[in-house]
Amino acid sequence: MANFHPSVDLLTEYTAGILPLAQSACIAAHLNYCQQCQQQTARLQDLGAVMFDGLTPVPVGDSMLDSVLARLDEEPPLSYRRVDDLSLGRMPAVLQRLMRGDFSELVWKKVTSSLRISYLKTGDPSHEFAFYHIKAGGRIPEHTHRGSEMTLVLQGGFSDAAGSYHEGDFLYREASDTHAPTALQSEDCICLAVLDAPLRFTGWKYRWLNPFLRLQAG
Amino acid sequence: MEEQDKGASSGWQGPTGRRTDEWSECLTLIAANEDRAAFTRLFRHFAPLVKAFALSGSSLSATHADELVQEVMLKVWQKARAFDPEKAAASTWVYTIARNCRTDMFRRLQKFDTPLAADDFTPDQEPSEPFAMLQSRRSRDRIHELMGTLPPDQAQILAKVYMEGKSHAEAAAELDLPLGTVKSRVRLAIQKLQIQIDR
Repeated sequence: MANFHPSVDLLTEYTAGILPLAQSACIAAHLNYCQQCQQQTARLQDLGAVMFDGLTPVPVGDSMLDSVLARLDEEPPLSYRRVDDLSLGRMPAVLQRLMRGDFSELVWKKVTSSLRISYLKTGDPSHEFAFYHIKAGGRIPEHTHRGSEMTLVLQGGFSDAAGSYHEGDFLYREASDTHAPTALQSEDCICLAVLDAPLRFTGWKYRWLNPFLRLQAG
Repeated sequence: MEEQDKGASSGWQGPTGRRTDEWSECLTLIAANEDRAAFTRLFRHFAPLVKAFALSGSSLSATHADELVQEVMLKVWQKARAFDPEKAAASTWVYTIARNCRTDMFRRLQKFDTPLAADDFTPDQEPSEPFAMLQSRRSRDRIHELMGTLPPDQAQILAKVYMEGKSHAEAAAELDLPLGTVKSRVRLAIQKLQIQIDR
């Protein structure tokens, strides 16, 4: 069970369907691990539905009904398998769609001896959507952000000065928070990170890497 | 469990109670035998709401709004078999489809090249919480009741976010308010409507 969750602000924008695509995918992935947030989004969706019900209807002509009726034959109702419960903890479906394979089939770029990054294409023009693979006990050099960062732990866990995070935990950081996450000793850690501006390493040893960390949005 | 559920739901006297049940029935008829008469009834009720949704905040042109109405109603037909009356109210279900189609349309209009559709972000079925339908009915009734007690500035922001599809930042810019004010109004409204879950 996740212990760190998206704020109700983020869940509001998520349920209203207005969060940027890459961020939306990250929240959707978190829901896969988190019953609480599923319930919260269900309630927020109820809110949207009540407002929808309360709209003043705008007349729609019969010609539109006719043209929709004419198209029904081409589009028979689809058959669905009943999914009785969402299997919590499984690899989120939204990520599976983006990956087409497992972690080992992705293209990984080595950044430091304990950090590899794989960029996924979401089509969101302003956010980078990437998996971070940190070796067990490995450390991501201290860095800061020029923008916001969403992180979701998919495997293993990591800790930083503020706490320790495990599978399903969700973190949102605003620009300029500095941290140096360290993977737990027991196993490698894989996280999903969604950024709207590139990381910036702050330590002298890694600063030279900054120019190579351009935002890989799209 | 089924017994309890039934007992509880028959005692429910929501403001939209009978209508909600009627629309669930229509969806069930479509799923069972591709019932066009049921679809027509559903269309006459929901298409004007979807059109209002599409036009709110004049975020879409009239042509795109009409396109959206057709797309949503076709999806309702196609997806009717995924509707589970035990888990969701018909109008919540239709609203979700409308919202997803609109999000996709926004992205299409902005020429996003993405392998994902808004449907991928939400499971077809609502969460597996026990008595999901009952909880949803209760919360909808409560929201409906409490909505009238919200201060106008809070109600206005909720409408901007949910109906007009504006982000908090866009709502702030439009109303010439600091982002923090918008966020706190949303939070206050959510507390007043009693939909904030305890952590």
